[in-house]
Amino acid sequence: MSLRKKFFVCLTVFIFQMASVLPVFAEGEAIQIKGSDTMVNLGQAWAEEFMRANPEVSIAVTGGGSGTGIAAIISNTCDIAQASRSMKEEEIEKAENSGEKIHETIVGYDGIAVVAHPSNPVSGLTIAQIADIFTGKVKNWNELGGKDLPILVLSRDRNSGTHVFFLEHVLRGGNSKGPEEFDTEALMMPSNQSLVQEIKSSEAAIGYVGLGYVTSDLKVITVAKNDGSEYVEPSIETVQNATYPISRPLYFYTRGTLRPAVQKFIDFVLGPEGQEIIELLDFVPLNKD
Amino acid sequence: MESARKPWNRALEFLIERAIFFAGIISIFFVILIFVFLLKEGVSLLKTYPLKDFIFGQKWYPISEPPSFGVVPLLLGSLAVTMGAIVIAVPLGMGAAIYIAVVAPGWLKEILKATVEFLAAIPSIVLGFIGLVTLVPLVKQVFHLTTGLTAISGSIMLAFMAMPTIVSMMEDALTAVPRSYREGAIAMGATKWQMIWRVLLPAASSGMLAAIMLGIGRVIGETMAVLMITGNAARIPTSLFQPVRTMTATIAAEMGEAVQGSDHYFALFAIGIVLFIITFLINLAAGFFIGRAHHK
Amino acid sequence: MTNDIVIDVRDYNLYYGDFHALLDVNLSIKKKSVTAIIGPSGCGKSTLLRGLNRMNDLIDQVRVTGEIFIEGKPIYAEKRDLVELRKKVGMVFQRPNPFPLSVYENVAFGLRLHSHLSKEEVAQKVEESLKAVALWKELKDKLKAPALRLSGEQQQRLCIARLAAMSADIFLMDEPCSALDPVATQHIEELIRVLKEDYTIVIVTHNMAQAARVSDETAYFYLGKLIEMGPTDQIFTRPARKETEDYITGRFG
Repeated sequence: MSLRKKFFVCLTVFIFQMASVLPVFAEGEAIQIKGSDTMVNLGQAWAEEFMRANPEVSIAVTGGGSGTGIAAIISNTCDIAQASRSMKEEEIEKAENSGEKIHETIVGYDGIAVVAHPSNPVSGLTIAQIADIFTGKVKNWNELGGKDLPILVLSRDRNSGTHVFFLEHVLRGGNSKGPEEFDTEALMMPSNQSLVQEIKSSEAAIGYVGLGYVTSDLKVITVAKNDGSEYVEPSIETVQNATYPISRPLYFYTRGTLRPAVQKFIDFVLGPEGQEIIELLDFVPLNKD
Repeated sequence: MESARKPWNRALEFLIERAIFFAGIISIFFVILIFVFLLKEGVSLLKTYPLKDFIFGQKWYPISEPPSFGVVPLLLGSLAVTMGAIVIAVPLGMGAAIYIAVVAPGWLKEILKATVEFLAAIPSIVLGFIGLVTLVPLVKQVFHLTTGLTAISGSIMLAFMAMPTIVSMMEDALTAVPRSYREGAIAMGATKWQMIWRVLLPAASSGMLAAIMLGIGRVIGETMAVLMITGNAARIPTSLFQPVRTMTATIAAEMGEAVQGSDHYFALFAIGIVLFIITFLINLAAGFFIGRAHHK
Repeated sequence: MTNDIVIDVRDYNLYYGDFHALLDVNLSIKKKSVTAIIGPSGCGKSTLLRGLNRMNDLIDQVRVTGEIFIEGKPIYAEKRDLVELRKKVGMVFQRPNPFPLSVYENVAFGLRLHSHLSKEEVAQKVEESLKAVALWKELKDKLKAPALRLSGEQQQRLCIARLAAMSADIFLMDEPCSALDPVATQHIEELIRVLKEDYTIVIVTHNMAQAARVSDETAYFYLGKLIEMGPTDQIFTRPARKETEDYITGRFG
């Protein structure tokens, strides 16, 4: 036998051995959850609580952004994609090419708070005003009744579900294909933490974050839907009763028929324990009715 | 005994030779594969988006309807940050290299060399984080800006990242200058600084240019630190004190969200090609200078 | 008579760390003469030469006692200006070491360091200096060429020219022909004979025939001591000391 042949025989044997060993790792029933950075702590909290009651299941939660999770569900490399935006039609189409249906579950809500530096005298803005700030039509705080200070616009970067939601629901007023865009001068922050930190350090800054990231040293701007309507502060109640205009659902995406463990986990999330955890982490639970 | 060992040696030598050859071929193969993949994905953009609008477009709105994939603000962002970094790193690095190569006493020389090389071992995301919490507020305060997340912050941070490359390569180039040149100059009554300025630096110039080129190569490809501290606003920069968005940061920030096979996805690969071409040219220039240094 | 003495070495001792490299050296060198320093390897002849323009200062752990007077001024005196000293006392090394610059810039090097001459004055000096070492004819059209492209002999002449240009009047030559072929060696020796009309030359050499051919005076060193110094023909024909005779006749060394 030539050396080359021997090599291939060895390689083949090796591959088969590996293949027979690998499934052993899966025996403990593992669930892979991937996606939205906004939801990563939430997913982790659910997973911990669930695993305490079901020690035979091991759940791994990773972030990377809604897009990352959705890409993973498309390529079938995770069981659940967490997303803070809904899947685009083209994404669903791509995922369903394999023949398996994509299933969407709303697991809770997130309100997006518009935040500014605590020293900023401006306390309430309309959706239209906010849109003007972020598209760059309004450049100075004095146009909004504030100090004579150029506005520093902070946005999350495009891999963030929050960015997409804010773009479509605030800047484009709900028309997801609208022409409006963030001002080119808007800073694109890579994480919620860095955005919050930058707001704290700059008097002129304005930005937006999920309700869970609001801390007491930030100024939370109250938002009015229209000129005449009431200015509402974001809170669990106002998101749940839909009086606060900038809120969004949080999604689980799954594909095909679910394994019992995955189904059990989703039921847990939608159940009272799961919903309690949502509230604990400053997100907004589903309406109990 | 001796003769019995010989065939073994020859067989071993043959095997080692083959293994090295194989390793070399594999690495070339992978480089070609990467380039072909990059090209294939990047060029796919041109099926639906005109090349002219990509190269000269001044707006980067990848998720608008219709999207604009103008690379100009990103390219200029990268160049601004890189040039800033080089302007800072070259004089500093040159000073450090001269000090280590010529001025420092033996024991200090070793300590300094080890320290500079240690700088290279710090992961860039760690440097980025340190930059975010220390440098960014400082830049904001010192230059009275509305935000410290600017090109200059990125430049300063990247200058630190380019330093190890620049210092150690320049130091090599300076040490390689024959001792006789230095002695000759000193014997003619040159002071140390005159000797360095008039003999050492001209003699080492090729190697030092190569060091600068490789420093640029290191800086322009850097991602995490710039993503964290340059503000990522895709505007055309008019000064270093503005937020900018670099090509690398754009790819890193948007690749996760871009739908595979979409125009946005292909556009990010097209940026990759631009980046690849730039680093390739820079390395080519560095190679040219290194070749010239050896030729002398 | 004493006015003729340009270099006067008095009770000169030099130590490399613990090693006593030169012991109580006393000698004087006349103006516009060629003095050869000979002796076996390690006898301290190069060390003495490098002591004359304090090039030994570059080596760590060198310690010196005694004094050397150049034109009557002590060179180890505390406030001695080394730049002044090295400008006056130039050095030619074993291996030609022109700088990696053009021919012109090599010759002009010292002028750029030490003077503020106009462009024309510099050009004039460069021409004179190249003429002094008989390089002008060959190189006047190649002044912009890199000096490292020249032949070994041309490079060594260039190294002498660049000393002449900055008006050095003492040339220290440390085996200047050891890297050259016999023909080139002969040319350099001829040059030395011409140069002594205007310059004082101290040459260290291994080659006794060379010492005999070019020098007026010869000093023989052995194990860091000056054994004997005198007119060259006397040293080579009737040395006063037995050791000198043994070395010169090739009985050892």
